[in-house]
Amino acid sequence: ETNKPVEPAQPSAALQALRSARPIARLSDITYPSSIISPNPALNATAPEQKFKYQRDFLLQFQTVFTEKPSEDWDNKVKETVGETLDSSRPQSAR
Amino acid sequence: KPAKKEYKDTDNITVFHDPENFNVKHPLMHEWTLWFTKPPSGKGDNWNELLKEVVTFDSVEEFWGVYVSLFSEHKNFSTFPLFYLSSALYNSSQIPYTNLALQNNITPTSELAIKSDYHLFKKGVRPEWEDPQNKHGGKWAYQFKEKRTVPIDDLWLHVLLSAIGETLENEGDGEVMGVVVNVRKGFYRLGVWTRTVGKSVPGGGDGDVAGGKGRTQEKGKDVLLGIGRRFRDVLKLRDGEQVEFSGHTDSAHSGSTRAKAKFVA
Repeated sequence: ETNKPVEPAQPSAALQALRSARPIARLSDITYPSSIISPNPALNATAPEQKFKYQRDFLLQFQTVFTEKPSEDWDNKVKETVGETLDSSRPQSAR
Repeated sequence: KPAKKEYKDTDNITVFHDPENFNVKHPLMHEWTLWFTKPPSGKGDNWNELLKEVVTFDSVEEFWGVYVSLFSEHKNFSTFPLFYLSSALYNSSQIPYTNLALQNNITPTSELAIKSDYHLFKKGVRPEWEDPQNKHGGKWAYQFKEKRTVPIDDLWLHVLLSAIGETLENEGDGEVMGVVVNVRKGFYRLGVWTRTVGKSVPGGGDGDVAGGKGRTQEKGKDVLLGIGRRFRDVLKLRDGEQVEFSGHTDSAHSGSTRAKAKFVA
């Protein structure tokens, strides 16, 4: 039933951007907006191209700027893999 | 609608500059696969049917797309006040940022049924002891027994970020295979799986790499202890609370996942 043909949804602008974006080769090429905490240079002093370490405060900043589902069929995929796994024994009111 | 901005091909536009027209993304050092273990139904389920591969990604941007959208499938506002309370306490006391939880309104791990697990492993490694890349290894783990008050969603997120950001180990250590959260009746357990138990492994080669003969047992142990210390920092454990390391085969032979700890940190 999950296999019935449906019109493929049009990928969002953000998802299209992600798919065509190139991986950053050198972090030194990037000038971040002034409000953004940059990747810690000390973590990447000896980093080869495209092999970067990122500290938590840098990574957390993406949470509000990139929230796109990774693919058009994502909801089905989640249903198949994670499924209905909420704790059904939990009371539905706050404890 | 504003006109699409024009950029030169040579501009490096990140998602922070323009969330809809960025042209570079932040590569991760490794590709990572998210797995999920469904709780058994009690009808003789096969383990392979319970352990499911969810998605593989290799950039910071994709990670967040997965994280936010996966867990927003499970919005459940009825538990929000409880979560909000524990999260707010945690934020005010220990974590230097706020609103993280509120932006999502969601409580992934904290809403899962007993016996569920999430696993984030390097691509090509199954999150099982029997996997060839895990079978000589072990894990650092900590059990949180105060399930009602521990901010498990924040902790699991921080463990995920330490894995994909590659801050759990040093360059060349080569030990970290993946990270896990287990939801159990009496506790949440967070873990980091390593390739070895600090010793060389069959087929590990001669180099100073995880499992190689060129790495002394002393260094092998130091590498594991370093990972253990970083892990306990991520979990913000207090003095007197320790993460414990045990080998997978020790655990298997003892018939329990609570094997005698080999190291503590």
